[in-house]
Amino acid sequence: MALTLNDRLPIPHKNAEVKNVTCEFCIVGCGYKSYKWPLGTEGTYKDNALGIDLSQQQPTYGDWCSERMFNTITDRDGKKYNLMVIPDKTCVVNVGQNSVRGGMMGVSTFNAASPTKDRLKEPQIFRGGMLMETSWEEATTIIAKVYKKIIDNDGADEISHKTFDHGGGGGGFENTWGTGKLFHTAIGTASASIHNRPAYNSEVHSSREMGIGELNSSYYDTSISDTMVVIGCNPYECQTNLFNIHIQSNLDGSTVANKKQEFDKGESIDKSRIIFVDPRRTASITNAIAIAGKENVLHLQIKPGQDITLMNALVSYIMEQGWEAKEFIKNHTENFDAMYKVNKVSLEYASSITNISVADIKKAAEWIAKPKPSGHRPRNAIYYEKGIIWGIKNYENVASIVNLALVTHSVGRVGTGVCRAGGHQEGYTRPEYTGPSRQNLAVIDTDIIEGKYLVYSIWGTNPFGQSIATQRLRNAVTKRSQIVKDAINGYHGNNLDELADIIYNACKSGGLFVVDIDIYPTQSSERAHIVLPAATTMEMNLTSMSGERRLRLSEKVMDAPGSAKPDCLIAADIANALKAEYLKAGNKTMAKRFEGFEWKNEEDSFKDGFAGQGSKMASQGGSTGTLATYKLLRDAGNNGVQLPIVKVENGKLIGTRLNYADGKFGTKSGRATFLPTPQPAMPKQVAKQVKRYKYWVNSGRINEVWQSNYHTGRLEFTAKRWPMAPLEIHPNDAKELGVTSGDIVQLSNDYGSTRAIAIVTDAVRKGEVFGAFGFQNSIINDLCTDYVDPDTKIPFYKGTAANIVKVGRSEGLIKDMTFLERA
Amino acid sequence: MEIIEVQQTRREFFKFSALGLGAVVAAPSLIAGDAPPSMSVYGGYTKNRVGSLAQLKKAGEFDFSYPDESALCKAVYVNNEVKAYSIICTHKGCPTIYNKEKAMFECPCHFTKYDAKNNGQMVIGQATGALPRVLLEISGDDIFAIGVDGLIFGRINNTVG
Repeated sequence: MALTLNDRLPIPHKNAEVKNVTCEFCIVGCGYKSYKWPLGTEGTYKDNALGIDLSQQQPTYGDWCSERMFNTITDRDGKKYNLMVIPDKTCVVNVGQNSVRGGMMGVSTFNAASPTKDRLKEPQIFRGGMLMETSWEEATTIIAKVYKKIIDNDGADEISHKTFDHGGGGGGFENTWGTGKLFHTAIGTASASIHNRPAYNSEVHSSREMGIGELNSSYYDTSISDTMVVIGCNPYECQTNLFNIHIQSNLDGSTVANKKQEFDKGESIDKSRIIFVDPRRTASITNAIAIAGKENVLHLQIKPGQDITLMNALVSYIMEQGWEAKEFIKNHTENFDAMYKVNKVSLEYASSITNISVADIKKAAEWIAKPKPSGHRPRNAIYYEKGIIWGIKNYENVASIVNLALVTHSVGRVGTGVCRAGGHQEGYTRPEYTGPSRQNLAVIDTDIIEGKYLVYSIWGTNPFGQSIATQRLRNAVTKRSQIVKDAINGYHGNNLDELADIIYNACKSGGLFVVDIDIYPTQSSERAHIVLPAATTMEMNLTSMSGERRLRLSEKVMDAPGSAKPDCLIAADIANALKAEYLKAGNKTMAKRFEGFEWKNEEDSFKDGFAGQGSKMASQGGSTGTLATYKLLRDAGNNGVQLPIVKVENGKLIGTRLNYADGKFGTKSGRATFLPTPQPAMPKQVAKQVKRYKYWVNSGRINEVWQSNYHTGRLEFTAKRWPMAPLEIHPNDAKELGVTSGDIVQLSNDYGSTRAIAIVTDAVRKGEVFGAFGFQNSIINDLCTDYVDPDTKIPFYKGTAANIVKVGRSEGLIKDMTFLERA
Repeated sequence: MEIIEVQQTRREFFKFSALGLGAVVAAPSLIAGDAPPSMSVYGGYTKNRVGSLAQLKKAGEFDFSYPDESALCKAVYVNNEVKAYSIICTHKGCPTIYNKEKAMFECPCHFTKYDAKNNGQMVIGQATGALPRVLLEISGDDIFAIGVDGLIFGRINNTVG
């Protein structure tokens, strides 16, 4: 909503309904309070739900509702309400602060007179040459009939799916359980893949196999560390309040008192420092310098793909200096010798490979491992994210960082941790995936391009912008979906059994039955034959876990648009429809597989999954997840509880701040395992692009745009700020290409071509460009190769090459953009 | 000279930290208009003379407050144009500092940056929109503030303070 000059926001009535809402976006999971009260009523300046005098200018850091934290909403009974969603000062995660994303949760909610108006509201079916509204019953019956035929005749593995597995908006333990139970055990397909990647795999297999869960520390421990190491990760833009609250308060000295309390007796408290490993200068780096001064910030501007060599060099130099954590290595780890035999590398060689000076490698090693004046070893909070996970070789990339953490005892110790920084919140609880081992997993999206599978179910994600070789994927699915569409168009009748046969036969002739479950129309729904509307955050009760394993209940505040439902209940509808089909066919054995979905609401799914299974299933709640209830979580508010839960005491959930404090790790022996991590060669598909095309293409997130840009591509502010993907180009390259900021450039390679708006900046190096992912009108992943790490099937999204040409300029498109330096 | 003094005082006054509550929006009264205000074309706002065009061209910037004394604003001369904004960052209410060289308003608390040339558009940061823009009327050498487009931090409407 845009205020005109003399408008004011309505004042929250003192009887406004107040709920706890966890931010639906990044993994940090900031706490918010929602205030909902009937439209046409309001409080007064002095008597209102915020409990402050609104006739006065509020102070810095005071409570305030921006225009974008506000919306007007309509519930299913037609009643209209005002809604404010403002950051919660009592939440220890964000202490009343918001990111640009969380600050727009209000305006992101459904309002039929706003940019969110095109939310999916009713189930749709492709009939008569178009997607048209249908009933839940008809939509799920068609799905059930087609799926049943496939399961019976071709096997469940012919039903491939790509389904979210995260927490936050659209995810949560309720919904990962519902969808996981549907696909893993009820349908029983192993042809699975996850929202942001083409197979069903962990992004951190190696860390887990080394005995270390990837979220083992807390933001508090980061705030009291001596040295923070941030590798392939830009927290100011991607985990904002981890940076703005916890990293910043450490760097500016606000946490010295906490350090005094937590550190050993007599332990030195030095000025805290931060090391960034990143091929480009990010806003995190410039902001860290602004806080702590250049002398306390080290930017290792690495050559893309060479992180493993850098980590191995740090370990080697630390060993040479005798700075390793000898007692810890001896008593709590194994396999050190085998690791070091492979990983030992000279600094000179590492420098030549990584493009980082020997002096800087030494300096980093000193900050990480050189004993402090008191003789104590530095406490390191180590973070890595997509620059590593989507890197040259996922398995060794992650393992090389965990090696460094083990050598320096940077895990299980106060003020340390070796964690992924994270994307979305987490929320995984599912029956065990019974597919092949990680080396043999199906790469679903490549298989789809090659003509495999009869069904592609797409749930809460848009693979057509966010997988490997996305242009090829779009083209393949368009073609295969059209075969089914043509068959449906050729059917002149209204019998659902006949229609299901028509669809099935078309799939057997090269077609692909596409089922899309989402909250907005996307490139997936364009290709779908059935579209089902889902609810999202604030439209259902939803539990998720943050980057420090903080479990919260984000409460239902409003009704979902139309007849949209929580994903777990959609999964239940599909399962129940399949059960009915099998019962109708007299097949009780198969019908039994679809039992256990008699859920009336999302809490039933929570009770069945997270709180019901404990360690019987793959759950981030572990064996003590069974102690959690909605009531206890509601009482715990926005501070929730850090998993694993230890106990319930006087009606309060008691959790765990730091994992592995007892030195026992998640391996058979209880010892953390070092892994050899040799530097891999450039994968051949990528090497071919590098040979043929001039510019190295890196990609990643920008602050204001979230994931597939589903809300942010619609909202007025962000859509105007970023009308298309920006592409950072070095000034020398720009000069050579005849490009200035704001020009539209086209990028092309063997895999596809896309476009972007040029931003000329020396934040990137000459010969390297950086494009933002997630834009549906300019898809950087069209340039990605089909390479995946053979050991984990995780892609190298950050590594490809392309040629660039200026194709034009559109002043109307860029009029609200700014091209000033972001970092 | 007066403007520079005000800036120095302000720099000392605000403690910049991630969590600190040291910085408070409560300002020494600046140039609240040196002529009696009259009615603006925008309802609820007054029309205040806030400065001289010639002086602005010479100095590149001046501070004033509008629509009332506790609303800190700055007028800048960029790209041969006069622009004026509330300087209070709409993220958490910290006063931004004007970087003349870059024509950018920079918040020292959480590093939100705004483009002075382009309607206060957010360059990067954690606010959820542009800096509120002070609408101006220029008559001869007189610069008048006549309204504010966008909600000023800490206010339920702009004229509440």
